[in-house]
Amino acid sequence: MRIGIMSFAHLHAYAYADVLNQLAGVEFAGIADEDAERGKAVASQLGTRYFNSFEELLKADIDGVIITAANADHRRLTEMAAAAGKHILCEKPIATTLEDGLAMEKVTREAGVKFQMAFPCRYVPAVQRLKAQYDDGLLGRVVLLRGTNHGKMPGGFFIDPEAAGGGAVVDHTVHLVDLVRWIFQTEIKEVYAEIDRRFHDIPTDDCGLLTLELTNGAFMTLDPSWSRPDDFYTWGDLYLKVVGTNMVTEVDMMRQSLERIGSQDPNYQWEFWGSNSDYGLVKEFVACIQEDRQPTITAQDGIKALEVALAAYESAKTGKPVKLDN
Amino acid sequence: MRVGIVGFGTMGTTHAASYQRIADCELVAIADIRPERRALAEEQHDVRSYATLRDMLSAEALDVIDVCVPTFLHREHVEIAAEAGKHVFCEKPLARSRAEGQAMVDACRKAGVILGVGHVVRFFPEYQRAKAVIESGQMGNVGTVYTYRGGGGFPTAWQDWYARYEWSGGLTLDLIIHDFDFLRWTLGEVERVFAKSTWGRENNRMEHVLVSLRFANGVIGNVEGTWLDLGTFGTKFEFACDEGLLTHDSHWSSALKSYQLQSAAHTGKPGVAVPESPMAIDPYTLELKHFIECAREGKEPMINGEEALRAVEIAVAAQESIKTGKPVRLERG
Ligand SMILES: NC(=O)c1ccc[n+]([C@@H]2O[C@H](COP(=O)([O-])OP(=O)(O)OC[C@H]3O[C@@H](n4cnc5c(N)ncnc54)[C@H](O)[C@@H]3O)[C@@H](O)[C@H]2O)c1
Repeated sequence: MRIGIMSFAHLHAYAYADVLNQLAGVEFAGIADEDAERGKAVASQLGTRYFNSFEELLKADIDGVIITAANADHRRLTEMAAAAGKHILCEKPIATTLEDGLAMEKVTREAGVKFQMAFPCRYVPAVQRLKAQYDDGLLGRVVLLRGTNHGKMPGGFFIDPEAAGGGAVVDHTVHLVDLVRWIFQTEIKEVYAEIDRRFHDIPTDDCGLLTLELTNGAFMTLDPSWSRPDDFYTWGDLYLKVVGTNMVTEVDMMRQSLERIGSQDPNYQWEFWGSNSDYGLVKEFVACIQEDRQPTITAQDGIKALEVALAAYESAKTGKPVKLDN
Repeated sequence: MRVGIVGFGTMGTTHAASYQRIADCELVAIADIRPERRALAEEQHDVRSYATLRDMLSAEALDVIDVCVPTFLHREHVEIAAEAGKHVFCEKPLARSRAEGQAMVDACRKAGVILGVGHVVRFFPEYQRAKAVIESGQMGNVGTVYTYRGGGGFPTAWQDWYARYEWSGGLTLDLIIHDFDFLRWTLGEVERVFAKSTWGRENNRMEHVLVSLRFANGVIGNVEGTWLDLGTFGTKFEFACDEGLLTHDSHWSSALKSYQLQSAAHTGKPGVAVPESPMAIDPYTLELKHFIECAREGKEPMINGEEALRAVEIAVAAQESIKTGKPVRLERG
């Protein structure tokens, strides 16, 4: 099994590359990058081959690709990979517009290649325990949720409105929306949002608060802000509180950490010892190809999550809750 | 200053204990319609007791009336006290609506008496410290803010009045008004409110509310409150600023934790943890001490009727948003 990586614009590419190098029976076959300098440096650092263009990489003897380009480039690279008959693991959000997302769904379906969205949070063991609690009926009926996915301001293409399709709201809304849809088998039917740029001098939004109504009758607030300071003790958080009729459960993924207190700056850091969720994600992608089955995280999941983020921007612009058809 | 308390329930009991710790202040009498509460007050304190505020006023020479009856009775009692020319301390929330609150403010102004309201969170040291840090500018500008309050279970009270929405206003008016007042005190006026509650969808006794606030200065707020029983009552906040984070979690910062070993009593139930953070002077005593000083010297208290009315307006806007599903703009802002 040979897998390549298309673009290192998204930082998650490094984590996925690590997993490719760990997985038995998988060869990290090479990378191509629109930024040749970055691509060459990364290739030599990670001990893999650098291809001069995306076309060359796709002509090589590989089974699949991981697309970690800027959000706005996902569609073009997906179309290229599908035409070359390569299976695809695509970074979130799926695209910057619903039209692009739908086109990606269609082209991969018609080409008969597998398409998996990179929503690694589904592989967080605490999240899986929450899903099991729900599936086993321990939570009861879900009444309300509160989620936060805080982070630091990432820079790069993330703060280019064209390339990213927005800022913190499009970057961080999709993880929690995907988890909620997946765990509780529900859709989002209404979105209200306050969105602003209040932390950094950048061209995109960096904070917001979404208030959601779900088709299962529950409501939720979701904070996707890049509100952690640059020297915050970890990258951010993934937090989800669920109030059910029988139980209240809080998932706070980053709590599986040591507190490390030193004598030099930054003198307080968290040392995460929890499971690597990217490992589960990439392993599943490889297994889908090996066993010739459809990925569980589909283009449709990517489109649905993007739809909520785009509705949030519309709500913030109009000042009104936005209804979604489901 | 000679003080009479009307309503010797949970808060009346708390206030009575506080007056013992305030110099030049004497708790003279209490009024409560329940004979067992009157008996308890006489047993615990050196006071005379009466069935009603009017009875207490006609029998006693008092300077201050402390109103600790349930929320729906605040207006009636504040107005009786004001007409009798007494300074009034009223528990929060001041009133259930803007009109009700305005009438109380007007009655006290007309009678020329001082009105103070029990937004005691402003006297909690962790909240005071947070405000001071934010105002110092050390953290830069506030971008977003989150507050949490609750987890202690549904309140038990006389006639189960908290469970009757018309009487208590539910959790939005009763509980998280503390956070509305604190946030407004720290960040300024609120411009827009959008809120969701289990009220009207689920059993009222488990009310849980999530509020989205937009302040005039641009800050985006998320206020959470719950009457679910999560073991112990707790509070949290997080100010995310462009130069750092300021956070509080009462469970983390309790300086004393006691564990009831129910297993020792062979009940088979798990032990109950009771967290505390004792202070040299508790916040309730501090708030009443401040009010008594103001009443004595004829000064406006920090939380006068007008201040308290602003917090009621935010809570009422949240209630309206919960009912209509629409964002509500505050007229003033
Ligand atoms: N600041 C705080 O932290 C805080 C905490 C709890 C309650 N409160 C507020 O304090 C007020 C009282 O709440 P509580 O929990 O003490 O209620 P409670 O039911 O425990 O006490 C109310 C008391 O008033 C008495 N009463 C009722 N009608 C009366 C009347 N007409 N005349 C005389 N006595 C009468 C009742 O017998 C009862 O003893 C409410 O407005 C509540 O919102 C504030």
